[in-house]
Amino acid sequence: MTSEIAVKMTGIVKKFPGVVANDHVNLEIMAGEVHALLGENGAGKSTLSNILTGLYRQDAGMIEIGGKKVEFNSPRDALNAGIGMVHQHFRLVSTFTVAENVVLGESDSSLFMDHKAVAARVQELSDRYGLAVDPSARIWQLSVGEQQRVEILKVLYRGARILILDEPTAVLTPIETTELFKTLRVMVSEGRVVIFISHKLDEVMAVSDRVTVLRGGRTVGTVNTRETSTTDLASLMVGRSVEFNRVVRQTPAHREKTVLDVRDLCAADDRGRVALESVSLSVSPGEIVGIAGVAGNGQRELAEVISGMRPMTSGSITVDGESIQSGRARSAIAKGIAHVPEDRLHTGLASNHSVEDNFALKNYRAMSRFRILQRQKIRDQSTHLIEHYDIKTPGSDTPVRLLSGGNVQKVLLAREFSASPKVLIAASPTRGLDVGAIETVRERLVQAADSGVGVLLISEDLDEILSLADRILVMYEGRIVAEVEAAQADRARIGLTMGGITA
Amino acid sequence: MRSLVRLERRLEQPKWLNWVVPLASLVAALILGALVLWITGKNPFDVYQRIFERGFAGKRAFSGALEMATPLAFTGLCAAVAFRMGLVNIGGEGQFYMGAVGASYVGISLGGSPTGITIILMCLGGMVFGSVYAAIVGVLRARFNTNEIITSLMMNYLAAIFLNYLIFNSKSFWRDPDSPQFPKGKTLNARADWNTYSIFGVNLPIAFLIAILAGSVVWVLYKRTRFGFEVGVLADSPKAARYAGIRTTSTIVIVMALSGALAGLGGAADVGNFRGLLDAKGIQMAGYGYTGIVVAALARRNPLVTVVVAIFIGGLTKAGYALQGPDFPSGLVGTLQGLILFTAVAGEILIKYRVRTTPRHSEVVA
Amino acid sequence: MNSNIFIIVIASAIFYGTPLFFAALGGIFTERSGVLNLGVEGTMLIGGVMGAWTCLHVGGSAWFTITASILMGALAGGLVSTLLAFLCITLKTNQTVAGLSITIFAGTVGLSSYLANIWKVSKQPVPRPIRNLDVFGLSDTPIVGPILFHQTALTYVSWVLAILATIYLFHTRIGLQLRAVGESPQTADAMGINVVKYRYIHTIFGGMLAGVGGVFYSLAIVPLWVDGMTKGAGWIAIALVIFGFWRPSLALLGAYLFGALQSLGSTLKARNVQISGDLLDALPFFMTIVVLVLVSSRFAHRKLGAPAALGVPYEREER
Repeated sequence: MTSEIAVKMTGIVKKFPGVVANDHVNLEIMAGEVHALLGENGAGKSTLSNILTGLYRQDAGMIEIGGKKVEFNSPRDALNAGIGMVHQHFRLVSTFTVAENVVLGESDSSLFMDHKAVAARVQELSDRYGLAVDPSARIWQLSVGEQQRVEILKVLYRGARILILDEPTAVLTPIETTELFKTLRVMVSEGRVVIFISHKLDEVMAVSDRVTVLRGGRTVGTVNTRETSTTDLASLMVGRSVEFNRVVRQTPAHREKTVLDVRDLCAADDRGRVALESVSLSVSPGEIVGIAGVAGNGQRELAEVISGMRPMTSGSITVDGESIQSGRARSAIAKGIAHVPEDRLHTGLASNHSVEDNFALKNYRAMSRFRILQRQKIRDQSTHLIEHYDIKTPGSDTPVRLLSGGNVQKVLLAREFSASPKVLIAASPTRGLDVGAIETVRERLVQAADSGVGVLLISEDLDEILSLADRILVMYEGRIVAEVEAAQADRARIGLTMGGITA
Repeated sequence: MRSLVRLERRLEQPKWLNWVVPLASLVAALILGALVLWITGKNPFDVYQRIFERGFAGKRAFSGALEMATPLAFTGLCAAVAFRMGLVNIGGEGQFYMGAVGASYVGISLGGSPTGITIILMCLGGMVFGSVYAAIVGVLRARFNTNEIITSLMMNYLAAIFLNYLIFNSKSFWRDPDSPQFPKGKTLNARADWNTYSIFGVNLPIAFLIAILAGSVVWVLYKRTRFGFEVGVLADSPKAARYAGIRTTSTIVIVMALSGALAGLGGAADVGNFRGLLDAKGIQMAGYGYTGIVVAALARRNPLVTVVVAIFIGGLTKAGYALQGPDFPSGLVGTLQGLILFTAVAGEILIKYRVRTTPRHSEVVA
Repeated sequence: MNSNIFIIVIASAIFYGTPLFFAALGGIFTERSGVLNLGVEGTMLIGGVMGAWTCLHVGGSAWFTITASILMGALAGGLVSTLLAFLCITLKTNQTVAGLSITIFAGTVGLSSYLANIWKVSKQPVPRPIRNLDVFGLSDTPIVGPILFHQTALTYVSWVLAILATIYLFHTRIGLQLRAVGESPQTADAMGINVVKYRYIHTIFGGMLAGVGGVFYSLAIVPLWVDGMTKGAGWIAIALVIFGFWRPSLALLGAYLFGALQSLGSTLKARNVQISGDLLDALPFFMTIVVLVLVSSRFAHRKLGAPAALGVPYEREER
């Protein structure tokens, strides 16, 4: 490792309406290192990297690359300076082939593409870095892991010396994660720089040479990975010491009874392809059943079918022995199914509507007489829930989209819990929240289970499932491929089954 | 170098913007219109002054504005009701024709009934015809996801052809058999003529009162009822609506039917209150359906404001007809209306975004 | 032989389909970049009136006058769609309403009519209409003569354009980047492609083609200016873009199909075939609805190649 400074960002300030995303952030990265950028959601990691890739322009501050001051006015400038980014949400054109995606935006003046040369070049790169992918395949045909490889290839193809990876492991199985880390190591051994953005402490410890921690838009400090520990990093990240423990349950589940029963469920996804293949599962009152799996293996469809948002092609769903009509959300709501969807702002809530209207989103029919809304009732319900669930909002009539992420989730949870459901489907309920909010949400889920609600917790965060669930099911390609009691769960084993390997 | 001016999404929309921006749009449109006039060799002040005199100033002019405002209020409501849900119904024109067909059928058939009943039944006839015609578009949209903009527009052309067929190319029930050389519609029975009240010398057509009533009903419907709540959620996020168990398909059809019913009511007013017969040429020339879109956009989809804006656009249109001649070409008023629509659309952005200037060069702040 | 009704129908289908194709091809470029142009009808009318005006006022040889008229139509169409581009791309307004406002502003009772009236273009027969050519003296050749060798120069230009557009869209680098802009502007932006520039250029170019389509009406089909003479052709062109699955070749076929529907009335009437004129007039509009219903289920839409970001203003996500 040389001591040459590859990237230096000084005093970076970026303001967005209502927030200062980066507040005089400093970052210094050496050539040939994997440098982790650690911080909670909203700490300013993504903003900082978007500035470095020319997508945003800083309000103040200076960027130096290889000792030279640079001004980026567009992503093209950053690319030309050798900076490439692998975004968390892939920037790929799904109808294009791998090769077409790779050459996109290449500053080559030739009118036509040399398809053969491109394919050969892609092949060469993928061999060298262990990024196996077929150059002529179309993106939509690829798995999420493969798509990420295309993203990395794209950046390498453009000759990037500095690679930024934004939460790259979120979509990978544990095995794919290990492979990715190997690839990153090969890259830095060639003198490239990898900036690894994450909020997962274990991974940061495993892959990085140095870590810069951001909190609330400011730099908290930079440490050598070898000289630190997960607990130290955690307290730097959050600003106080935190301990992640398995949550203690007050009341055990009534395992002899079944509240939610799903039998041989089949359903299609938005493109009409099979998303669920005879899925069967049951949840007992007071039990938390965790569904583990890599994103895109049918979890979203499962949640939608159970909550009546998506029709089933065959199978049955019953709550307390009463069956739910296929694709009828109203029927599911009436039978006592509460649903906390993954996409909170646009599915779980009508984000331009007020807090009180969102509380009434499911029970507005009961809040009316002769089909006229009873505004006072809606207002009263809102006042009660805001207080009871400790929701921070300027008012009952404030649009939900103006609330912070944690409070948005609280509005959603408050509505769903207050309907006294029998079953709760929670899909990635803590994604994107800060530590404090995550704790609150987890506590609420456990409270619900303690009060006898059957909880189906769908999450890509295996640790969350391990710490909350009583029983764990693993989904892979639309099927349930494994079932274990949480007490006997083996992290590595589950990781394997998530990747489709059944031991 | 990145542009110096950028748009930044507003976190909160101050209430005063809701009326300041439309007014500012109007002023901007008048300035742009003046530019067009000046470039084409007309004196903008002169033209505007004449429009004002003939469109608004004085009892006679204002009576004319109200007369023209009546159909526009209905077609404006038609567009606004659909816009509120994110549906673009530009079929108000065709639905208006169909409403006129339905209402004139009722008006011609009911010879001896008392006036009040005739008016009510004519309104119903217009509404039924208009709403069924619009519901076709709604069903296609709801069932097959067919773009309602193009289908509703195609239906306008079909309605126009149908109208011509009824009056010019057939011996239909609507055509006056006593005038074979100059084809025209049958004149309605005298009892089917709607009242026009005179208040301080200004003629107030009863249909304009019906328009105010319709605007109020729509306002209550959208603001206070369960149905309105459902429409609001659907407009905000179709996914959230599905999540909450709101029936998307039937709501789309109902909103389209409602929208068409309002246009149809306008057609009934045209026949009953103003022309007294199904005037195939006249109502096509008027193009109320398209102008209604301008009215709704300027009123920012608010049903009550729509009725008010209709008076303004009505006066403008009336003045256009009255002044038409060699030095006041047709097309001028249409151009002005188009400009108003432009600036109203652009003004919408000022309500949503704030215009910010960014410093050209960012200095290091230590 | 050459008076065989089918041959006449095909030949006139190509004639009447030519302006539809110009407008539809323009729509393909615009929509491929992710901008929905509902102002085609108004754009065509402005092109038509400016073309007619030029034809009335510019002297010189027939070729010169006609070329100047076509260029003027294109220029006018380009200007009008610059306005649309500004509204949709820079101001990020609702694209449907922006397009509609173009059509109302420029349309039948708007600017096109105003200009025609003040410049006295209205109902003045143009001195040098666009005529059908006799290519290589082959226009009398049986069957293929009237179809292939007796069309207007613009028709031949449109055939060349169809080929060039296909190559451009699907085989060149710029075409690839254009499609990326329409499919996923985020991706294109991150890859250093200037989304705004691509959208502006293709929206304006699309408007220019629509303007040429308008000139075809006032110089070839009628040939004089009448207010609102395109009678919905712009809207049919928008439907043709969908019908042609955003591909120039299929749009060409579609345009000729609708050209046939439009010309059927006059062709049959000239041959004394007894059929209701109203029914024939209604046919293109009715067929447009039928075709739209057939291709517009959400699933089919994506499969057929609708640009994924069509109609969605692009803004870099601000958190």
